[in-house]
Amino acid sequence: MKPCAFEYFAPGSVPEALALIQQHQGKILAGGQSLIPLMNFRLGRPEVLVDINRIPGLDYIRQHDGTLQIGALARERDVELSPLVRQHCPLLAEAVSHVGHSTIRNRGTFCGSIAHADPSAEIPCAMCALEGTIKAVSPTGETVFTAEEFFLTYLTTALEADQMVIEASVPLLPPGTGWSFVEMSRRSGDFAIVAVATLLFMEKGVCTAARIALAGVASTPVRARDAEAVLAGQTPTPDLIAQAAAVVVDATDPESDYHASADYRRDMSRVLSQRSLTEALARAQGGN
Amino acid sequence: MSEQNAKKWVGQSYKRREDLRLLVGRGKFVDDIKLPNMKYAAILRSPYAHAWIRGIDTSAAEKLPGVRGVLTGTDVAAMSKPFPVGVPIPPKYYSCAIDKVRFVGEPVAVIVADTRYIAEDALDLIQVEYEPLPVVMDIAEAIKPEAPILHENIGSNIYSRRFIKYGDPDKAFAEADVIVKGRFLFPKYGSTPMETYAVVATYNPHTEEYVIHNNFQGPFVNHALTSIALGIPENKMRWIVPTDIGGGFGTKTGVYPYIALIALAARKTNQTVKWIEDRREHLLASATQTDRLTYMEFAAKKDGTILGIRDQAIDNCGGYIRAPEPGCAYRSNGNHTGAYQIDHCDRDVMVVGTNKCLTAPNRGYTCQELYFSTERMVDILADKLGMDPAEIRFKNFIQPGQMPYTAAGGGIYDSGDYPKAFQLALDMVDYKKWRAEQKKARAEGRYIGIGFATVVDPSVTNIAYVTTALTPEERKVSHPKSGSGESFLIKMDPLGKVHIIACTNPQGQGHETVISQIVADALGLHPEEVSVSDVVDTYDRVFTITTGSYSSRFASVGTTALLTAVDRLKVKIVKIGAHLLQVNIDDVELAEGKVRLKANPKKGISIKQIAGTAHWDQAALPLDMDAGLSASALWSMPTSKPPDELDRVDSSNTYGFACEIIVVEIDANTGEIKFHKWVSVHDAGTILNPMIVEGQVMGGITHAFGGALYEEFAYDENGQCLTASFQDYLCPTAMELPAIELGHIESPSPFTALGSKGIGEASCMSVPVAIGNAVADALKPLGIEINELPLTPNKIWHMMQKAKAGLPQAEAANRG
Amino acid sequence: MKLEGKYKFAAPQQKVWEAFTTPAILKQAIPGCESLTEYEPQKYDALLKIGIPGVKGTYSGKFEIVDAQPPNQCRMIGEGSGTPGFLKTETAIQLTTEGAHTVVNYQGDIQVGGLIAGIGQRMIGGIAKMMLNQFFKQMSQALES
Repeated sequence: MKPCAFEYFAPGSVPEALALIQQHQGKILAGGQSLIPLMNFRLGRPEVLVDINRIPGLDYIRQHDGTLQIGALARERDVELSPLVRQHCPLLAEAVSHVGHSTIRNRGTFCGSIAHADPSAEIPCAMCALEGTIKAVSPTGETVFTAEEFFLTYLTTALEADQMVIEASVPLLPPGTGWSFVEMSRRSGDFAIVAVATLLFMEKGVCTAARIALAGVASTPVRARDAEAVLAGQTPTPDLIAQAAAVVVDATDPESDYHASADYRRDMSRVLSQRSLTEALARAQGGN
Repeated sequence: MSEQNAKKWVGQSYKRREDLRLLVGRGKFVDDIKLPNMKYAAILRSPYAHAWIRGIDTSAAEKLPGVRGVLTGTDVAAMSKPFPVGVPIPPKYYSCAIDKVRFVGEPVAVIVADTRYIAEDALDLIQVEYEPLPVVMDIAEAIKPEAPILHENIGSNIYSRRFIKYGDPDKAFAEADVIVKGRFLFPKYGSTPMETYAVVATYNPHTEEYVIHNNFQGPFVNHALTSIALGIPENKMRWIVPTDIGGGFGTKTGVYPYIALIALAARKTNQTVKWIEDRREHLLASATQTDRLTYMEFAAKKDGTILGIRDQAIDNCGGYIRAPEPGCAYRSNGNHTGAYQIDHCDRDVMVVGTNKCLTAPNRGYTCQELYFSTERMVDILADKLGMDPAEIRFKNFIQPGQMPYTAAGGGIYDSGDYPKAFQLALDMVDYKKWRAEQKKARAEGRYIGIGFATVVDPSVTNIAYVTTALTPEERKVSHPKSGSGESFLIKMDPLGKVHIIACTNPQGQGHETVISQIVADALGLHPEEVSVSDVVDTYDRVFTITTGSYSSRFASVGTTALLTAVDRLKVKIVKIGAHLLQVNIDDVELAEGKVRLKANPKKGISIKQIAGTAHWDQAALPLDMDAGLSASALWSMPTSKPPDELDRVDSSNTYGFACEIIVVEIDANTGEIKFHKWVSVHDAGTILNPMIVEGQVMGGITHAFGGALYEEFAYDENGQCLTASFQDYLCPTAMELPAIELGHIESPSPFTALGSKGIGEASCMSVPVAIGNAVADALKPLGIEINELPLTPNKIWHMMQKAKAGLPQAEAANRG
Repeated sequence: MKLEGKYKFAAPQQKVWEAFTTPAILKQAIPGCESLTEYEPQKYDALLKIGIPGVKGTYSGKFEIVDAQPPNQCRMIGEGSGTPGFLKTETAIQLTTEGAHTVVNYQGDIQVGGLIAGIGQRMIGGIAKMMLNQFFKQMSQALES
């Protein structure tokens, strides 16, 4: 199918972009890997596209103040391969490597995936596990959202109509942190049926805190806080992990679709959580 | 006349000459055609699966700047007739819905505009008033008396039904020691060629001629049927298929209604119109194979000898039935009994309609559905008798000494050594080792399974088989149908260079390459000296009803027709040479590029000289001989005869053999399937080009792998298609396919010039059931029956959960 | 798809019944409803602009209330079509009093067809549920004011 007619602007600066968005209720085009297919199917019919790809200085991946900051135009592939990310936040690199195929990641942007807010997507899930933040700008100023408050429901974020995501940031993981990202999909590169991102913050063999976030099991990524509580303050064992994994199911509210039933997704959230926590623990205990 | 036919090029992995142009973007596809003032069409499609059309208002659409005109069902009904089809009461199938829509995606109107973008904008402005009707999606539901009826003029949803008996099945079943039963559901899937449908049509109102560029797999029967539908003689429709088609796999062999539809749009708007189908349209409304519900029984002796097969097979053609259907039900009758010596069959064959999209042959055509039932039944029988499934196959195989073998349904199997091929596969897979592994795994609570499929791969189509849709009495009073002809023309220029004119119309099979190999061997040339033109142009080519590439017929009919033409040319060359040497034909031989005296090989005339004479000095030729130097053949296999009065017919004309042995393990937690080992052994007679054969085998395997595990045209209970994009219609990628080892044996066919047979579809027929058998074997400890596809992790997990809870399995639902 | 459940309103049954059968309040409650005009008793022309941000479609169609047994139960039938496809819904509701609250039990059948059905099936179930929740929330708010 061919898209509907639209007006196209390619601003050279953020203020220019914001002005265009406000003036025309324009839709932002960054990587376009979600937007353009929607437009080609005529499911999305923006009248104005504001192409931000020509704005300089937005493609950074940098370390700052205990966090990694990722600019609006940083490509997913660059995040996946970045030595900074691989060293300080390997969970993120792993999660991003599951996004579509490398050709898609060459164009798709990290922040674009966050703004798109697909509940089956890997990057929003990882952002929730990492408790990252999202900075948005508008003509009147800046807002910083936590990942959790940013994702409201299917393809819907807390962004106001005149706001644009300018940067996402994630904390640097302390050395010795266990991490894992496990995904089940029908084929390599497909949307997750269920994906699990886990972190185990450890001190002398004891898990001080655990984070378990899931994609594909609700209208947004979810944190399985009750399951996390099972592990917090404990020395993780296979039995404890199995216990926590069983509790993860209660945090999920999946739908059935053509590819997988709700029952299947619920049980897979348990199975994958167990695999992920096991992998995270192995990493914490010695191998990355 | 004797000649040396040194087989130097045939049998080599000679690199394909087609590949360079495809790889550097110089292929010629329909979308490369750009004609002056060309306009673009977009099609409005029904969002309802079953509804009356109460009104169409195109006024706003027609006013949009850039719109050149619109075509609706009213126009189509006035300008064309329904497509003929070989069933007793045909539905009225036009290229556009007239008063009713019968599947989601059915065309309702066509807009012609300056660009495709504008055409789609105009579609948004068309108002259609639908009155929705109840839908019927399920095969079993469709044949119930209370089912919603799709075609008022038929009065039921059964398009075709025959009761066919071979041998004495009642006796076989009465004498059986054991009878096993099964119910099987084969899904609706397809081969999704990379290039979708594409048409560029013009109409000349002064000469009343259509010129239609399209990517159909031949003229085949479609040229004839489309001209009938358009109400014109065939010589008023010039049908041109370019050098390159991006895959067909049968999707482009059924009645291709868009050729007529776009032609009518061109005529109505007086424009040259291009229409390129997009992928969503292709998944909604092009062609898939039928889905099939089969009830089957085997009668057997307790030593494992299979005596007879009883079955009711119901194929679903969707909202309308169109040629070559009801071939779906009849094409494999000749090889219904597969690789086994089974003499007695009792068939109740039905073809029905539901509110799903329409069908055409899909790579493997009818055999994957057939063998999914019969090969599962072989394993079920083996299980019942406590026999090894390999052993029961050896017990029942047709033996090599029986070739050529006439099967119960009339198929004349030309050659084969099934025990040898199967043994090769068993050795390659190391069968004993995997049975031992399975035993160990079962003790550990793991699920390993070994699946077999040993099937006969019919290639070539004898169009006679379609007439088994009629009873013998009905056939007596109608025109018989038979044949499998293909045509070639070979011409030699004054310098002795050879050019082949073909219209096999390939979609990527590499015909140009193989033709050059064959002709090079036959004439003592290098393949590069043989040029080939293989396009379809119904004004410029000699063709017949069976012309085209489908049913893997090139390797058998194609090569033999080609060599028949080449031999005729050689005869002419020898005659001219003998005449110029002033000797008798029996005194000369054609060898080493010359016609020379047998008694004195140093005395002769070169072929080049003969060619020069034939063109430049025509008076020097023998009397009553045509000038120039060319020859042609339109050769049909002699065994392509009509069915006999017992409904037996040689439905195909060459029969290969395919064998899969697959070892799987099921992850008990997730239902995912892991492949430990996969061996695929084929016998397609003489191998013409091993590299091409390997490509064909892997392609067939991958298509079937998709159908077994990933692909399905799925509908919800309201008839909405759930798989209208590649997001949900899942074609396997290189990442999903496991490692596969290939093996071959060659049992040359005595019926073809080089002994070769088709190979393009073999694994399509064997892989789905081999995977089914492997999964069934793996889940045997849980008592789970495998009788449907695709086997997704979600499905397997649900079956395992039910089994562990001691609950009965759900009957396989045909909702799609 | 079938949706079933219940919702509790902090309002007496008669008031809730009236809200469910008053076009002005229904218009406030139905997500994306741009207009709802009665052309016959309990029969309405409707214009909806619904979807999720970036994927909204305009649907025009009809809505009617049938088999009404005030203030206890009725069925609501709606259908609309637009460029992304068509929607049809049939929902039965039963109202019962629980102290100062009214409980509305619903059993709904939603059919989605056309483009969105083919492309969006992954999310349709969840989005439908989400819109239903939105409807009840907005209805609640309308009742409070």
